[in-house]
Amino acid sequence: MPKSTTLAMILAGSRVDNLNVLTYYRPKSAVPFGGFARVIDFALSNLLHSGIEQVAILSQYRSYSLINHIGTGAAWDMIGRNRGVSILPPFKDNSDNKCHADWYRGSADAVYKNLDFVQYHDPEQILILSGDHIYKMDYQDMIAYHHKKDADLTIAFVQVDKSKAHRFGIAAIDSNEDGETGGRLLNYWEKPESPEADWASLTVLVFKPEVLYRALQENQESSSFEFGRDIIPQLMAQGRKVYGYKYTGYWGYTGTTEEYWQASMDLLGENPPIDMEAWGLRTNMEHRGIRDAQPALIRDGAIVHNSLVYNGCIVEGTVKNSILFPGVHVEKGAVVEDSVLFFNNHIGADCKLSRVIMDVNSVIGQGVRIGPEATSKAKVVTLIGWNNHIPDNMCIGEGAKIYPNISSEQWSKVKCVEAEEVLR
Amino acid sequence: MSVKQEALVLLLAGGVGSRLNILVQSRAKPAVPFAGHYRIIDFSLSNVMTSGLTKIGVLTQYKPLSLMRHLGMGEAWDFTGRSRGLKILPPHTGFKDSDWYKGTADAVRQNIDFLEKNPADEVLLLSGDHIYNMDFHAMIEYHRFKKADVTIGMMVVPMSEIYQFGAGVTDDNNRIIDWEEKPEHPKTNLASMGIYVFDYKYLLDSLYRDKAEVDFGMHILPRAIDNDNVFAYPFYGYWRDVGTIQSYWEANMDVIMRDSAISPAAWGVRTNIEADGRPADRPPARFSNSAKVSCSMISAGCVIRGTVINSVLAPGVVVEEGAVVRDSILFADCTVGKKSTVDLTICDKRVKISGDTIVGSGMNHDFPNIKQPKHLYTGITLVGKEASIPSGITIGRNCIVNSKTEESAFSTGKIADGETV
Repeated sequence: MPKSTTLAMILAGSRVDNLNVLTYYRPKSAVPFGGFARVIDFALSNLLHSGIEQVAILSQYRSYSLINHIGTGAAWDMIGRNRGVSILPPFKDNSDNKCHADWYRGSADAVYKNLDFVQYHDPEQILILSGDHIYKMDYQDMIAYHHKKDADLTIAFVQVDKSKAHRFGIAAIDSNEDGETGGRLLNYWEKPESPEADWASLTVLVFKPEVLYRALQENQESSSFEFGRDIIPQLMAQGRKVYGYKYTGYWGYTGTTEEYWQASMDLLGENPPIDMEAWGLRTNMEHRGIRDAQPALIRDGAIVHNSLVYNGCIVEGTVKNSILFPGVHVEKGAVVEDSVLFFNNHIGADCKLSRVIMDVNSVIGQGVRIGPEATSKAKVVTLIGWNNHIPDNMCIGEGAKIYPNISSEQWSKVKCVEAEEVLR
Repeated sequence: MSVKQEALVLLLAGGVGSRLNILVQSRAKPAVPFAGHYRIIDFSLSNVMTSGLTKIGVLTQYKPLSLMRHLGMGEAWDFTGRSRGLKILPPHTGFKDSDWYKGTADAVRQNIDFLEKNPADEVLLLSGDHIYNMDFHAMIEYHRFKKADVTIGMMVVPMSEIYQFGAGVTDDNNRIIDWEEKPEHPKTNLASMGIYVFDYKYLLDSLYRDKAEVDFGMHILPRAIDNDNVFAYPFYGYWRDVGTIQSYWEANMDVIMRDSAISPAAWGVRTNIEADGRPADRPPARFSNSAKVSCSMISAGCVIRGTVINSVLAPGVVVEEGAVVRDSILFADCTVGKKSTVDLTICDKRVKISGDTIVGSGMNHDFPNIKQPKHLYTGITLVGKEASIPSGITIGRNCIVNSKTEESAFSTGKIADGETV
């Protein structure tokens, strides 16, 4: 059996403050998504379907949830004689070298600190991915393009609205060369204030190993250690052969709670942009015991419209345009709209939820309103952190943020939570 | 570390269950799907798991492939580990005994090697045919307390049903003093659930004694009751034999009833969701804007655009817009086309019903199936695995559409009540 020639490294270390209470206890890549899965499952499933069998995951922030989720890697067929997934946490060693002393200082530093691991595998190319994005891609096509161009580095780009381009790594790609497929990078700007182009980096990079090793070594002299901010500009400046590979499919960026909500809504509708079945999304069915959840019970009088409901749910009330993870119970008279409810939330009778993202394990008392008053639809997301017991008849205004684990003593002192208020 | 030998479990899963008709055409009764993504045998296996028993042999005989795939190594029920294990025990040929199992006791006798290699204080004998939740650990404690040779799980059933069971008469001490196997004129309404705890040595002695004794209910137990200590262990919870189409349908309906006595979730029932050779990571059930669902169980991977009332849908069922599914049980990956109606029907896996078709039509529930009047007589229509029903067809009550029936097999637009295709 031939040895895998590609080593994939998933950058899953970061917390991302913008996701706020959802990433208090887990890295962004382990945030639940799609009614049963996790964000990182999209990258892992892409690897599975691309036949890439050696995978490492660089994890630093609150790794537990992620380690738990990856398990043996069997869910993505990453276990076997020549297949494997390794989680690479930060580590100490006894060298005097200052760079080996401590935490990962950035994505590039994380890979640098694990160069022993990388070189041991002696790959023909190294694929660096972010674990945070929702997309479906065959990396082999991109790797083939990388080889065809004999590139030092090939980066995947997707066209975005120019008004949003300032948040991403942006490239000008020479479209004379290969048109729709890609072309040489003419210029690259990391998060430019006034963007001159609209191709945004998906943080999918294919490196020639020697080029990567050298770039990481050189980068150690710097004070910043990121692929986007440092490594790509460095290789551009050196005149290396850096190519852009154009991706035209769906790309869900979940950097903020609004974006996370929008990507979730993209799962709904008659022809959803994200089709988990067609994409062959795989997740770890052992995680949180989702494989053991009994099929959903839809009771007499329930209304479920344009929604995803996973096994383990009980619906007695109304659910519209929403996503229910396993173990959500919506009682009679409750109305859940435009919302994403993570595992094991209990929504009491006659509650009204509009555009709510609720982390796991909360109990919402009867008659609780979360979102705008009366019948109007919420325009911004309200966030509920995990393990909250919200008392009966509480009102929580649109855009409020409830931190995880608010004590019942503290809740007893709260009359209502104003719009945009942060309860911590 | 010294641990008391725990009971060895033998699960008899070889029965044909022929009254389940085409549902057992390609699988043994214990492997028949139940309540969405479960199979009947999951209930027994989960009882074994939650009772803390970890060594189990499963005796197979009839069409075991589907069952063996489902059992795997037993991981789903936590039977893998250093001191744990699930062994499948198929019939085998020996120097002299090359026959198929002649009865329950014969089946165990032919696997006496397995018993001898796994010494224990007790042997728990089960069948994989029933839907119930029971703590076997408590039963084994009771068996030890009574210093019994055999303890039989028993429960009170209506007098009218006792003819299907072994029936026992007990004294004040719960000792069984009389036994009737499937009595026509019963003296008691205390029925055997087919759950036995045997003293290990007593079982071996009984099996070695006389090879002509091939059945527990017919031979071994009556003799034991006459000569030794046999006790009844009373059980009071939900227990159901799902051996007929009617009882199978009723038990499924019990699952979706509010405040139902049967709850796979509360009972901690586990299943092997991977067994069909299809990855189990089906996305959540998708409900469209036109979906109307009530009193139903909906599994992952379903797509609901039509109406579903009082029904149990296994993973991957698609109900198109304008379609109505009522009082029915649909196995995995069935599709119901636009404006079709499925009423009081059980569809095996991957049945394809085109648009504008009615399965289960009319009010003639009492006209039994002509070929199988004892299987179908309450109005339920059966559609076999991978059958395709074309558009514009009306199928009546108590009908059977055989497995893999193709659209071309429907020469007329109407299948009358009691017909078989």
